[in-house]
Amino acid sequence: MNKKLGSFVVACSDQCTGCKACEIACFASHNQKGNKVAHTVGTVEIPVTPRLFLIKLESNCLPIQCKQCEDAPCLNSCSAKAITKVDGVLFVNEDLCIGCKNCMMACPFGAVEMLPIAKKGKAVSQIGTDEVRKSAFKCDLCSGLENGPACIAACPHDVLKLIDLEDDRKEKSIRAAIALTLTGNL
Amino acid sequence: MSMGVPEIEDAKLLFIFGYNGADAHPIVARRIVKAKQKGAKLIVTDPRITESARIADMHLQLKGGSNMALINAIGNVIIAEGLADKKFVEDHTSGYEEYKAIVEKYTPEYAEPICHVSPDLIREAARAYAKAETSMILYGMGVCQFAQAVDVVKGLASLALLTGNFGGPNMGIGPVRGQNNVQGACDMGALPNCYSGYQSVTDDAVREKFEKAWGVPLSNKVGIPLTHVPHRVLEEKDEAKKIHAYYIFGEDPAQSDPDLAEIRETLDKIDFVIMQDIFMNKTGLHADVILPSTSWGEHDGIYSCCDRGFQRIRKAIEPKGDVKTDWEIISLISTAMGYPMNYKNTQEIWDEMRSLTPSFYGATYEKIEALGSIQWPCRDESMEDKGTPYLHKGGKFAHPDGRGKFFASEWRPPCEVESSEYPYSLSTVREVGHYSVRTMTGNCRALANLEDEPGWIQMSPADCEKLNVKEGDLIRVYSRRGSLITRVMPTERVKAGATYMTYQWWIGACNELTTPYLDPISNTPESKYCAINLEKIDDQASAEQFVKDSYESIRTNMGIDTAKKGV
Repeated sequence: MNKKLGSFVVACSDQCTGCKACEIACFASHNQKGNKVAHTVGTVEIPVTPRLFLIKLESNCLPIQCKQCEDAPCLNSCSAKAITKVDGVLFVNEDLCIGCKNCMMACPFGAVEMLPIAKKGKAVSQIGTDEVRKSAFKCDLCSGLENGPACIAACPHDVLKLIDLEDDRKEKSIRAAIALTLTGNL
Repeated sequence: MSMGVPEIEDAKLLFIFGYNGADAHPIVARRIVKAKQKGAKLIVTDPRITESARIADMHLQLKGGSNMALINAIGNVIIAEGLADKKFVEDHTSGYEEYKAIVEKYTPEYAEPICHVSPDLIREAARAYAKAETSMILYGMGVCQFAQAVDVVKGLASLALLTGNFGGPNMGIGPVRGQNNVQGACDMGALPNCYSGYQSVTDDAVREKFEKAWGVPLSNKVGIPLTHVPHRVLEEKDEAKKIHAYYIFGEDPAQSDPDLAEIRETLDKIDFVIMQDIFMNKTGLHADVILPSTSWGEHDGIYSCCDRGFQRIRKAIEPKGDVKTDWEIISLISTAMGYPMNYKNTQEIWDEMRSLTPSFYGATYEKIEALGSIQWPCRDESMEDKGTPYLHKGGKFAHPDGRGKFFASEWRPPCEVESSEYPYSLSTVREVGHYSVRTMTGNCRALANLEDEPGWIQMSPADCEKLNVKEGDLIRVYSRRGSLITRVMPTERVKAGATYMTYQWWIGACNELTTPYLDPISNTPESKYCAINLEKIDDQASAEQFVKDSYESIRTNMGIDTAKKGV
């Protein structure tokens, strides 16, 4: 195999307190350059568009985000060829996205959301109407952004981890191999 | 708090009672998570499944308003099963026999129909609490905002006395306070009955000390609690006893106090209202004079943390516009009223306060600077006295005889309970994105994008089904005192028949509904329980329009620039 499996961020429900710091950090890190979002809330002039979503159920609480699927249903279903995969990370090109919501339908994890686009600190309008233009938003692991993924850095409870499953699998099979050897019964 | 906040991490058992750390104090909640990771047992008592309840070993999902019965039952089990720390009780406490006599009838079986918690679970919790090496109680507004509040606090403290959980590290009892620096306000004597450091206004020696320092005669009578103000305005017939002027700062009673219709009438009937705050708020709409003051990043000072820790805060930016710090405004008003008050900075004020307050005397600016935080009592200025991380060391208590006093009381139901006309209960709660009365957070675009007007009412899925409403629907909520519109939030985390609302929203202002009944000792209102009814709104479109119009009209009345509001 010549290409690595895409890594992704997962959360541990036991430690999460639902503070939403990850959602805000995600939004802030993606809008620092283009929309001048800085460290204080007073600098936010645009709608908040996080790419991960806190889910609270009876006995669970954790943010859900993209798994960077290898055979990605979002990419396969995109009618505008707006989703591409670079180095194992799936990106949405906001300029190409037509908001058809195929990817939302296709994603088995509910990790894609249609949210308003903002540029230069202003919401972008559609060409034909005054309505705000929407695009698919999903986790891109903060690719190209400094100190990413921002959600991991922001979490006060160390809930989030970047998982590299190849290393993880290797480690587990090594442990299994040692354990199996110790049984000595073959 | 008898202990320090960092000690939470190292307790062997946390008994969390009516306290939702994840929503009220996410950073304290972190300590709770850490404690769990370090192997602590977690017992959570809350009518809702909070984040702490979700990860707890035991969740006592009691019916709201039954705190006293549950605590008495736990005390009953500890005594009945011989789990009390007899030596500690004998050496360091008094009143045990009276305590035992009252809790005697509160067997878990007796408490069950009141609390809706199974006797087995009550027994299991009592055993775990009594047997753990160090057990710590954390409680919040789920204890204090009931008409039976002080009794419950003393009941919780009695459990700690009964099991010897005082006098050492990582144990004790901790009220995790409702507001930032509310501990500081109390420490500094912003209460009707004491000067700084809880020195009583009725103590002649104390009064004479302050008279001498300030050069004026002072009253030896306890003042009027905040929650008695409406009564002293609307019902007091004696003109001399009536309140004629009301100077309010850093407080928004027209949003945060119960029964808002009564509060508005009060504010309108008072001859003169001064409001001093950082932004416009609901109280400001009824004020005669508004004094704009600086916010936390614009001035120096000292805050007290809930664990008695003094910490310095520093000015980070120059204030914008025509504003002054609170202490400058107070000095100017005082001077104009004939008592010249001149301070150069907050350190001068702090030093004057210290010189009159023995239990804070050792906490100098320099020492707080050097140590980061000092927990009172700190009596000596030398570096030797680094303050007091936990109270009652060696089992010595503040009572003149040095012993901790047991206390138990019969359970009383909440003042207003469900009826056929008002079949649901309502409790006010917090949410993570907005703080207090939204003065600081409500006009923030980032936070408004997360949660915004008119707010939500948390309801069980069964109740939603019964009323045929779904998530996000606007719904009318009403009580004997008022009515409002808010959005439906179905959640499995609440029991059928109980509902919850956060109190900061201007449109969905749940204090329109709450009752003005008070705890007889603390005078804290019963915000955690009142009876309401819910009514489905068929014309959602016009309800949405109503919400939009009311919000715009409030903002316009407050002079908030509506054109700049986010998309």
